[in-house]
Amino acid sequence: MKIVTINSSKYPCLLKGIHQPPESLYYKGRWREGIFKCCLAVVGARAMTSYGRRVTDELVSKVAEAGVTIVSGFMYGVDAQAHRAALSVDGKTIAVMPCGIDLIHPEYQDELYRQILTKNGLIISEIEGSSPPGLWTYPRRNRIVAGLSQATLVVEAGLKSGSLITADLTKRFGRKLFVVPGPLTSSVSQGTLQLIKEGASMVTSADDILEVYGLKSTGAYGAGPRQKNLNFLERKIIEKLAQEPREIDVLSRLVHTASANLGATLSLMQLRGLVNEEEGKYYVS
Amino acid sequence: MLVKVPSALNLGLETLAMEVEVNVASRGLPAFEIVGLPTKTVAESKERVKTAIVNSNIEFPSRRIVVNLAPADVPKQGSFYDLPIAVGILTAVTGCPLPKKSLFFGELSLDGTLRHTRGALLLALFAKERGIKNIFIPKLSANEAAIIKGVNIYPIDSLNQLLLFLCGQIDIKPATHCLGQQPCISAEFDMSEILGQERAKRAIEIAAAGGHNLFMVGSPGSGKTMLARAFSGILPLLNDKETLEVTKIYSASGLIPPLGSVIRTRPFRSPHHTISDAGLIGGGSHIRPGEISLAHRGVLFLDEFNEFSRMALETLRQPLEDGRITICRSREKSTFPCQFILLASANPCPCGYLYHPKKVCICRPREIERYRKKISGPILDRIDLCLEVPVVNVKELSGDETVRKTLEPSELIAQRVIRAREVQAKRFIKEGIYTNAEMRNRQIKKYCRLCDVVTEILIKAGMNFNLSARSFFKMIRVARTIADLEDSQEIEVSHMAEALQYRLRENKNG
Repeated sequence: MKIVTINSSKYPCLLKGIHQPPESLYYKGRWREGIFKCCLAVVGARAMTSYGRRVTDELVSKVAEAGVTIVSGFMYGVDAQAHRAALSVDGKTIAVMPCGIDLIHPEYQDELYRQILTKNGLIISEIEGSSPPGLWTYPRRNRIVAGLSQATLVVEAGLKSGSLITADLTKRFGRKLFVVPGPLTSSVSQGTLQLIKEGASMVTSADDILEVYGLKSTGAYGAGPRQKNLNFLERKIIEKLAQEPREIDVLSRLVHTASANLGATLSLMQLRGLVNEEEGKYYVS
Repeated sequence: MLVKVPSALNLGLETLAMEVEVNVASRGLPAFEIVGLPTKTVAESKERVKTAIVNSNIEFPSRRIVVNLAPADVPKQGSFYDLPIAVGILTAVTGCPLPKKSLFFGELSLDGTLRHTRGALLLALFAKERGIKNIFIPKLSANEAAIIKGVNIYPIDSLNQLLLFLCGQIDIKPATHCLGQQPCISAEFDMSEILGQERAKRAIEIAAAGGHNLFMVGSPGSGKTMLARAFSGILPLLNDKETLEVTKIYSASGLIPPLGSVIRTRPFRSPHHTISDAGLIGGGSHIRPGEISLAHRGVLFLDEFNEFSRMALETLRQPLEDGRITICRSREKSTFPCQFILLASANPCPCGYLYHPKKVCICRPREIERYRKKISGPILDRIDLCLEVPVVNVKELSGDETVRKTLEPSELIAQRVIRAREVQAKRFIKEGIYTNAEMRNRQIKKYCRLCDVVTEILIKAGMNFNLSARSFFKMIRVARTIADLEDSQEIEVSHMAEALQYRLRENKNG
């Protein structure tokens, strides 16, 4: 059994500083102290929207690429997406489980679980064996997530989201709290907007986060390589899609082109990597 | 006295010759027996025949009557033996000879009149094949049989009328076919009634033109069902050969109404998702065609596709591939054609509101995965077109003048579909198929030459979108149809690019 106790020199010092730090940490993977040096907790809604997905991918991959370890709770939604984004750039990531160390929860994310381990990530829990998660283990887990990190990033959260607990703990530990602004109309943005109102730092680019660690990333948000050789219709499409993701039928009315022709054009643009689609809507990639 | 009355027996879509032997004995106690493996309906015909004869004011002979249904080892089922049995008894009593090369077929009512009986068309076809000259069938069923030329179809009103005719006292004119009322309802909605959904309408047009199967995914209220119901309005009428194929199935199932004619419009079947396997593909102790065969040359609409039982869905595999189904039971075996367009619709998740612009989905990724997995890969492989149907803001659209102006009536779309179908029929004249969807891989290679640019796009799409080998062929088939809609000989880049719009998307969440 792999275990690090609070008296061990290997125990992360940041975690030691919180109220009621876990007595012992069980873990899977290889324990390297470097992994705990710069940590960012990324939490958010399980019911992630496509906006949340894109933002998580964009921000987390840049932060992880710069060398920051992404800490999250392995739940589906934003948590899992954060782990994936970190792994996609071969970044470091730590998954803190709400259940016994021998359990994979949720069990269908076993693929991601294996990836974290093979890509030198770490899986930790304060609970031994394979005891299932309970309602009370989630907030306990959240304190470790927040406690391991210099800062916490909340991507999407409803008003009753568990991510707000993590956010609250972050503030209490005196760590930095970052929040991604979301649309007023979205129910999974109500919690994050509330946090911004209460004074959390709003994030508009990866640099906002990296500043805390004294690091810098490359390029601003959404500034992909500029595409040339666009014809009139393609330029118009890009212009409309840059405003917000749109369905083909809606877009066809905006650019005055029949759905059939527009569909063909979009297919070709997608193959060129100019646009992408999700949930039946196209957006500029 | 022994009389032999020729009749026929329908087994599935096949017809067998049979004889009804009636013996009215001059000795023995009065009795009435039927032998030759009669089932319940046939055995009960005793009472119907007896009462009908009495009510026709003819004295029923109080002798020992034995009826044998030959061949004796095939189980007999159905009510159409009433007429041959009655004719046999009456002939034995009156002594009028039966006309040569004739068939008798029909169910009796207690008052001596004849009722509508299923399978009349099959009987007429059989008669023509065997060189039988005259068929005597109920007047109400005569019209559907009269489509067959070269056979005298005598429409019979009642036993009395038939008796007078057989004795040479009156004349009955053979029925002539008239195209009467249509048993199939035409489309409930016109395409112009559906606001927005231009992309979905286009996909439906392609499906209709090329005979492609179509899978629609969308939240409740997005208009999937409405689109499906409007679908039959843009399909062309059946050609003569198809008409006969479809009418045969309907005749065998007893779905042609009294005085009904042949079916010219394409059938549209929408069974409920609680349907049994046998109901869907056909079966039963006496094999009847199922919904897939009733949808032959038409549309099978399966609303709430995921809610159908797994077994029922999997049974669709082979019929979708072969266009016909052979049902084997221990005693019987029947083959029915089932070349239909499958129109399936489903919600994106169990609660239905995934991707909904306003409502929030409450499903967990696991539940969504389980829900989607219910439709297996092999089934999805056989569906050429996949489509997400978004929720439309009807209020906003109905106020938009330009949207209103672009609404096309079904008739206009149907004209394009008919033209595209003509192009295909001409192309496949030697192949024995009608539409692009029926093309096998060999035919795709022969008729769908792709130029280098198009091939390049397809290969690139294959890598970017993770297309399976089967998907490649699907895309080519769909592109061929899009090209046919534009009356283009070659498959151009734009055709292939549009076809890619209707590929199956992988589920990225989870």
